[in-house]
Amino acid sequence: MKRYTLFLLPLVAVALMWLSSCASHPTVPSSCKDTQCQPAIFPDYCDVTVPCNIAPLNFMLPTDEYQACVARFSMPDGQQQTYGDGVKVQIPESEWHAMLDASKGKSIKVEVWGQKGDEWLSFTPFEIHIAEEPIDEYLSYRLIEPSYVAWNYMEIVQRNLTSFEESQIFNNEITSVDREVGQCINCHSYQNYKTDNMLFHVRLSNSGTVIVNDGKVSKINLKRDVTAFGGAYPAWHPTAKLIAFSSNKTRQAFHTSNANKIEVYDEISDLILYDVEADSVSVICDDPELLEVYPAWSPDGKYLYYCKTIPLPEELRDKDIRSTYSYLQYNLYRRSFNLATRAFGEEELVYDAASVNKSATLPRVSPDGRNLLFAEGQYGCFHSRHRDADIVCMPLDKGCVVTQEESLPDTIQGRERPQLFDLSLLNSKDESDSYPTWSSNGRWIMCASRRLDGTYSRVYLSYFKNGKAEKAFLLPQEDPEVNTYLLKSYNRPEFMVEPVRISAREFSKVFEK
Amino acid sequence: MKYFHIICTLLFGVAVTLFFGKAYPHHLHYQEQFQLFLFDSSYVWDVVKLPGGVADLLGRFCTQFFLYAWTGAIIIGVLLSLMQILMLRLANWGRLYGLSFLPSCLLWLFLLDENALLGGVWAVLLTLLVSWLYEKLPEGKIRRILLVAIVPVLYWMVGPLCIVFPLLQIRRSELPWNVVTLVLLIVMPIILAHFVPVPASKLWTGIHYHRYPTAIPTLLWGSALSIFALTCIVRSLQRWANASSKHVMPIVLYVLVVACMGTVVWKNCNFKAEKTMRYDFMSCHQQWNRIIETITAEKPNNQIGVTVQNLALAMRGELLTHMFDYNQNGLLGLLPDVERDAISPMPTAEALYQLGMVYAAQRTVFEAQEAILDFQKSARCYKRLAQTNLIIGKYEVARKYLMALQKTFYYCDWANETLQLLGDEEAIARHPEYGRLRKMAYQTDFYFSDHVTPQMLEDLYNSNTENRLAYEYMMAAFALTGDRDSFIKYAPKNR
Repeated sequence: MKRYTLFLLPLVAVALMWLSSCASHPTVPSSCKDTQCQPAIFPDYCDVTVPCNIAPLNFMLPTDEYQACVARFSMPDGQQQTYGDGVKVQIPESEWHAMLDASKGKSIKVEVWGQKGDEWLSFTPFEIHIAEEPIDEYLSYRLIEPSYVAWNYMEIVQRNLTSFEESQIFNNEITSVDREVGQCINCHSYQNYKTDNMLFHVRLSNSGTVIVNDGKVSKINLKRDVTAFGGAYPAWHPTAKLIAFSSNKTRQAFHTSNANKIEVYDEISDLILYDVEADSVSVICDDPELLEVYPAWSPDGKYLYYCKTIPLPEELRDKDIRSTYSYLQYNLYRRSFNLATRAFGEEELVYDAASVNKSATLPRVSPDGRNLLFAEGQYGCFHSRHRDADIVCMPLDKGCVVTQEESLPDTIQGRERPQLFDLSLLNSKDESDSYPTWSSNGRWIMCASRRLDGTYSRVYLSYFKNGKAEKAFLLPQEDPEVNTYLLKSYNRPEFMVEPVRISAREFSKVFEK
Repeated sequence: MKYFHIICTLLFGVAVTLFFGKAYPHHLHYQEQFQLFLFDSSYVWDVVKLPGGVADLLGRFCTQFFLYAWTGAIIIGVLLSLMQILMLRLANWGRLYGLSFLPSCLLWLFLLDENALLGGVWAVLLTLLVSWLYEKLPEGKIRRILLVAIVPVLYWMVGPLCIVFPLLQIRRSELPWNVVTLVLLIVMPIILAHFVPVPASKLWTGIHYHRYPTAIPTLLWGSALSIFALTCIVRSLQRWANASSKHVMPIVLYVLVVACMGTVVWKNCNFKAEKTMRYDFMSCHQQWNRIIETITAEKPNNQIGVTVQNLALAMRGELLTHMFDYNQNGLLGLLPDVERDAISPMPTAEALYQLGMVYAAQRTVFEAQEAILDFQKSARCYKRLAQTNLIIGKYEVARKYLMALQKTFYYCDWANETLQLLGDEEAIARHPEYGRLRKMAYQTDFYFSDHVTPQMLEDLYNSNTENRLAYEYMMAAFALTGDRDSFIKYAPKNR
């Protein structure tokens, strides 16, 4: 019997662990004090609009104020369910998705109670609006410390947005041959939200650009005779096996008492076009005086959008970057593209940010081609480090040149000047919002924002319809506290409609050749 | 002679402890500052999920106690002694008793390397322990099945060093089983290479035996394989080894092995590195008087030593009067450029922090932590990052670091105390260190590249002319760069 007991003990332990992982359905407090205010839940999911397939919106009350939390979710059909374990509300995925299915196009009412000492407090209920439009099932991002020059372990990760499943695409350890030199992996990019054609860069130790072409992995060197440097920020053409890159010489400098802490700037920056099938590189534009960066294709592939600096004032042209960095401002431009001839047209100004003393970067055209998202700060190209940076959205329907300056005439270069969309519910007040992206159905805007603490960027999502962005909500996590203690930034979030199926080991094999 | 073995082991353990506690203490401090052991399930899982993870976890657990060198020295003494005791149990050593100390001595030698990780020692020890326990099993089919079953489990626990276990079990009568286990050991890394996202070579050489990921720790492997080799020798010389010869031969061999290995250990000590680590340790713990005493006894002649020397002189208000009594290295002797390594930026960061250049100090500490080669974090760096974020008012970021430090053994109390300060402006203003550094901070932003310049120090001093340290550094910078005009401009009579 004793022998069997030894085998049974682990089984009992596993069973207990399984039982403890099941959601608890606590009872609602019988008596409580009404606070007349909404609960200070983290993340803030009060009155947000979410996709009909999103992972459970788990949340919590502050641990230093409350001992327990109970939340009651009421569906439009009258069904109710309560959750709460300590100060956290964690909803099983199956129950949550059943709630979403029952509430599509409607709202879930959420009542929250918090225990403070011996007393239960009740809060004003809030609603979670369930949009009819789903969100792309996958998201990928780079997890990295918000570093200056050196870096430690980093990984490109994919996350299923309908659940909490997260898996690694690649890391900077597996192929690094010289840890002292280090290896940086960056700029993961996909063609049309699909993963059969994708790429990412590997820098320094064992470097190269990893390109997946119809599922086949190869490593290439983008430094050619026609370019001063290799490829950096990429943009896949939506239909052809072409990738536009910026080719940059990037530098960093630091502040002694500015909360932005660091400036990332380019000394050289041009645009190049890489033909995946022919393995050839050609120059798109390489103005020796100005910097071109952040290419982005229109969804039909007929235009290439990008950012370009305006000339510095004469008196600053030969000055050190310490004098000039705050004068470097980028406008948005585009060039037409003829796929048959691979020829680019003349440059057209799309958005004149400099005229209002701003700098526009990271353009992204909506999948329907009607709107343009970008990040805007006062200067520079690296807005993820600029606290004043916000996401801006402008309509493209009329093919307009836009300035924000009120005094300007209503027509510029003969075209009407439309209003920018209201993204005030998406942007944070005084921390960096950057790297905007559209979901493949154009209903969801995603951005990386440092709004929680000013340092660690997190992924925020917002519903966009009829020119209006709804209140942004934080990427849900199984344990809502992860966003508090995780010492990594979510970098370059990109939507995908399918997962990357190639393992890190398979990617690494191209480095062995 | 009843207690001969116990006395010998005890003497060995004491020798190891005395060596690390007295002659090599700062190597232990160095080890401690390059890791952050958290009492946290996700941290534990992240470590143990890799092959060799259990040994690595135990190594990290023990290394956290190296904050106090004598505790670390005792831990190493006990581990190496335990290993020798287990060696003793593996065979009848008889006259060759002294050789049972050889693997422990090789590990001692291995640990002289500041980048050798204690996880490697635990890997050998656990393999020996499992081998000893396995020896106790009765002969039969279950024993053979267990032999095959243990290999993958042990591989997962300790990594490729577990090869010693199947090697020790090689018997002529169990040859097919031995072949199976060795084949299994070869196949495992090949299969795991498809699932474990680490360099495939590390599955053969060990992931966390050494801080340099590409280094193959030959001494560690030598120690592990010597277990097998010595056991073979003892078994083959069984009759001779156990012939009656009283205790003369074992004592002679013991003395010979310990004396030889002791000499080899001493010859291979890196006392130069120990001295440098000592400077770093003293600056980390702000032992300014001790630094002055040390530099008075022997003038430092390396980058870290000179940086610490100048900081200590400035902290005592003696930089301007005594800086040329010691070796100098221009501006780089005051505030060196940040290099991409984990140790050299730390004294620079301390100087920047004490000066009130909090943003620069934060960046320097961050760079140092990011340069830790085995991708670990550092409790020392977390602490300083929490402090700098607190000073510049980034309370939520400071909270993140403090929350992590709350899960440590030694830094938990400090983290709890500091958490109380977050957001409490009055308490921070009253705090002797944080309040002072807030007052000393730059009033206007100065944008800079990698090098700290005299102009930056001038700007810092002009932000608060009460900043005595900034004044000393600024004047020293003028003196070292030969900027006579600026020196005269700020000379005491002209101030």
